[in-house]
Order: sequence, then structure tokens, then C-alpha cells
Amino acid sequence: MVGIPILVIVLIVIYPTIWMFYHAFHDTNMMSLFRQDWQPVGFQNFEAVLTSERFRNSLWHLAIYLTFGACLQVVLGTILALILYESVKTGWMRVVLLIIMVLPMMLPPSITGILWRFLLQASNGAVNHILLNVGILEGTERIDWFSVDLSLWSLVIADTWQWTALPLLIVFSGRVSLPPAVYEAAKVDGASGYQVMRRLTLPMLREIIAIAFILRFMDAYKFVDKVYVMTSGGPAQSSELPVYIAFQTGIREFQVGLAAGYAIIIFVGAALIITLFLQYLKRVMRNAGVVD
Amino acid sequence: MARLVLDEICKGWDFPVLDRLSLTVEEGEFFVIVGPSGIGKTTLLRCVAGLERLDAGRVFIGDRDATTIKPYRRGVAMTFESYALYPHLSVYENIASPLRARRLPKATIDQTVASVASLLKIDHLLDRRPHEVSGGQKQRTALGRTLVAKPDIFLLDEPISHLDAKIRHELRRQFHTLEELRRVATLYVTHDYSEALSLGDRIGVMGKGGLIQVGSPRDVFENPADLFAARVLGQPSINEFQAMIERDANGIHVSVADGAIRFPPAGPHASVLGRRQDMGISVGMRPQHLSVLPEGAEANRPTVTGSVDVYEALGATGVLIAKVGDQQMTVITPPEAHYQTGEPVRIALDRDHFLYFDRGDGRNLMVGPH
Repeated sequence: MVGIPILVIVLIVIYPTIWMFYHAFHDTNMMSLFRQDWQPVGFQNFEAVLTSERFRNSLWHLAIYLTFGACLQVVLGTILALILYESVKTGWMRVVLLIIMVLPMMLPPSITGILWRFLLQASNGAVNHILLNVGILEGTERIDWFSVDLSLWSLVIADTWQWTALPLLIVFSGRVSLPPAVYEAAKVDGASGYQVMRRLTLPMLREIIAIAFILRFMDAYKFVDKVYVMTSGGPAQSSELPVYIAFQTGIREFQVGLAAGYAIIIFVGAALIITLFLQYLKRVMRNAGVVD
Repeated sequence: MARLVLDEICKGWDFPVLDRLSLTVEEGEFFVIVGPSGIGKTTLLRCVAGLERLDAGRVFIGDRDATTIKPYRRGVAMTFESYALYPHLSVYENIASPLRARRLPKATIDQTVASVASLLKIDHLLDRRPHEVSGGQKQRTALGRTLVAKPDIFLLDEPISHLDAKIRHELRRQFHTLEELRRVATLYVTHDYSEALSLGDRIGVMGKGGLIQVGSPRDVFENPADLFAARVLGQPSINEFQAMIERDANGIHVSVADGAIRFPPAGPHASVLGRRQDMGISVGMRPQHLSVLPEGAEANRPTVTGSVDVYEALGATGVLIAKVGDQQMTVITPPEAHYQTGEPVRIALDRDHFLYFDRGDGRNLMVGPH
């Protein structure tokens, strides 16, 4: 009976992975697949990826996206969570506000992408309309949100709108579970609001915030859905991320060997970063006394 | 340095917890409040600390009316039942936190923390985090945090109740010897009567709504104001029996369970009880005022006979629960004696120390107007 799940895993995970590693060292493309005839090329695929400017640009885009997307979401989410906790004390009000803030997260990412594509349209999008109405834009002036300079930022905006609620939820629940007696002790000690935030709340929430960041990071690293529906990586590859290139190369252009090269390099990057995270989590758990 | 005066303070939620409670704790006095769990002892402390807003009444600290003053301006320091240590800060930083809040210079903080830590014998733990030290050490850290604050009023909430018996004993001794605690007014809350009797200059028994009795530990223990106060103090708990006062040719008798326990009360009690002839009362017998007579021994006190129900040997003493008629009677026995379940025993009643209570309101019949 145990055999069946193992068989399934072998079929859908292990076999394709081996297949990918195999073709990463071959010049496989649509024609050679069709003819069942491909030649070994050594490390040429990896070389092609690492030397291509497209890939290097996409890494730069990823860095921007992580800094201003994932980090911003965590910072914003934390601030909102703490404001919500400190300023709204009524139980049902908190629930209502939380639900409202979490709503964007409940939409499918691709739908959110399409939504924001409409909102950010240059000629008759809602965002430009609002900017026009409040007087930031004048006359026939329009912001082209999907230009070379801005398309990556449009992605950041749409993604932040959708995902800020996740760190918010995590940090809020973390804050709720902090022991109230500690805060009362601080009150009796005479700590100021700033001292309480700086010396109590933030240090005690540090691990929680880090975990929220790890979650957002993992999601952002494989971010492809909104790129696909909002910008298709363009214009002029200005909003391409590594995973999107791999997808384009493999599924669209059927350059299977090259795409496998991309996939493995992305995988190695992910493995390195996840290892760092796991080290951190282990330390957190050791400090919390969960594991030895 | 100041005294603490509570003037008719009231605090409640959907039910009153503190109902017009008044109390004065003098400078240098160690006042212990004892009462069962959930009766409002912690609420009282929180009201004094300013963590709860009073519904009515006033709190004076020194000659200042502190009723509406913020906690940290009241000059109080409080330990919490859960210790409330800052989990991510070292023992040193925990102790130093009241001083940090006042932005004192580093040298002063260092010196104060070091002296308090050595006083409490935790100076070797200053670099550890709270989760790396034992319960007793956590408690001492929490105490250290209140000591460095040099407050006018100490508020200690069940500081040693959750520790194991040995450490509890050691810390209790430490409370006796801490000069800092003996110089200012201290309000100490506990559910453990032995802490109250051992530590308090005066103690207050807390019941529903407020303090039922205030007095010296000895006085409260020997002359509880009512049945509730008698129950709170003493372990094993006082034996309570519903009794009738009967009179026959030999004078008046206290009769429990249709005469299974029947004895003439001691002289001083008899005159008061005589006025309650044929009426129901409650009689309270502390286990230490009952003793098991050796076989064949002559008794110069009234006795009852029963059989052993449960016997626990506790080392320094034994606790025997005897069945007398349909009643159970807890007796403290000397350590060398041993009993088997079912064994018949003769129990001598040290009736001079018995307590008599009104069956209606539980008032001690020997205290106050008769």
C-alpha cells in the first residue's frame, strides 16, 4: 500500500527532475525532441545562462522586486498590524478590519494581475484618473505604467496590494500572543511608548517578522503569475524575473535544454537561500526551547 | 517612604470584586493578604499599582492622592504572579529596566544592579536569558527588578507560590531578611496561609467583596472573625460540623450528628453557647486540637471513638482522617504513630481551642457582641 504514493512521487517528481538534469547537459529543443535525437553539450547551457545579459538583468529585477516588494510588504504589514492592535481595541472592529485587509489575498494572483492591468492602463485606467482628479497629472499628461522604466514597479504595486495582508496577519497574531503581564510590568517600570516598542514589542516579534519575511521571500522568488498576465516580462524584457525566463524558454520556445539550465541555476540559488533560512529557524527554535 | 491608604475602593466587572475596601498599610509594614484563588487579591494589587481604574474610592500613597496618577508616577513596584520577565532580555537587563526607563547613567545602573543581584544571589546569572534560569531564579530576578526601583510601596503578587517547596522555604526566609522590604510599605498577596502567618506583620483575610478580617497573624489564626477566615488559614483545613446545643442535668452539651460527637464545651464558651440552647451552630475544630489517644490511656478531656478512614504519614507529622458516626474528622498525629485503615481510634478533643460559628452568617460567636 505504501508503494502507491511512492510510485506517484517517483512519477511526478523524481522522474521529471532526473529528466531535467539529463537535458540540462543536452542541446534538446523542439526539433530534437520530435526526432528523439539530441546531442550532449557539456556545460554549454549553464554557460549560456550565466553569460546572458537577459539573465543578469532579470537578477537585478529580482533584487528590486525582493527589496521593494517582499521587504516593503513585511514592513507595511508590521506597521499596519501594530497600529491595528494598539488603536483598535474592540473585538469585532478588529475582525472586520482584518477581513477587509485580507480580502485582496483571497483573490487569485492572476485575477489580481488582470485587475491591476486595467487599473494602471495609461489612457483610461483608474489610477491615472485619480491622479488627474487630485491634480498630480494635468491636461493630456498620462503616466505610462507599463513603460520600460515603470513596468517592474507596476508589478511591485500590484503584488504589495495583494500580499501585505499576509505579514499583517502573521505579525498581528504574534502581537496578540505576547504576554500582557510583560507590558504591565513595563507600565509600572515607567517605560515610554517608544521604549516599549523599541525594547519590548519589536525584539519579541523579531522571529515572527522574520518568518513572515521568509514566507514572502519564498513566494516572491517563484513569482511568475502577475508577470505573465500584467507585462509578459516586457516591454523589452524590462520586467522579467529569472523564473519567468525559464518558463518562456522552456514552455514557449521549447528550448528544453537551455530552460533546464535556467531551472537548475534557479534551484541552486533557492537551495542556498533556504539553507540560510533554515539555519536561522533552527536558531530561533533552539532559543524558544523547541529543539535542542 | 510612605504609607499606603485605601479609602473605600470599589472595583468590579459584571459583579463586584472589591466592595468599599479600606485599608492602611504603614511605612515599614509587611502586610499580607490571604484568600482563596479568584477572590480579587490580584485585582486589589492592580488597583493600587494603577493598572486598573477604580470604579469608586481613593488611593493615597504618602500624602498624595494617587487615584488617577499613572502607574510609574505612583512610586510603586510590583512583581507579577507570572513574573512577567522580558523574555528576550538578559537577567541583567531585566533587573535594570526600571532604571533604563528613568534614563540613569550607565555606571549607576551597573552598580545598582550588581548590588541587588548579589543580595538576591543571582549575580552569576546576569548574562542568562529568563528561559535559561530556574523558577526560583526567575522569581528572584523579578524581585530584583522591583528592588532596584526603590519604590515607596512594594506590591508582591504570589511571588513564591509557584515554586517547589524547598525553594519556597528558602525565599520565604529571604523575605524575612530583606531590609529593603522591611523599610517601606509592602502589600503581599498569597493564597498560602503559611506564607501569611510567617511573613506578615499584619494579615488581612480576603473574601467576597473585600477584607473580612485584619489583624496580627496570631490573632487572626486563633480568633477568626468567621468560618470563612477559619477555613482560609490552616492546613489541613479546619474540621467543620453542624452541631446542636443541648441542655441536660449535667449542663449544656455540643452535639454533632445525633450525638456521635458530644461533649460539654469549655467554661468560657459555655456561657455564650448557653444562650443558643436548642439552636443550630457550626463548630470548628482545627486538626492540631484533636489527638489520637494511645490504647488504654486515661483521658482528662472529652473523647469520641471512630475508625481510621485514611492515614497519611508525612514525615514530621501524620494526618489521619477518622470516621466518627457519619462524620469525617481530620486529626494531626505524631510522627512515630502508624495506623491501619479500619482500626478503631479514640480521639481526645482539646475543646479549649474549639471555635463556634453562627450557622447563618458564619460569624464567630466568641468574637464581638454576643
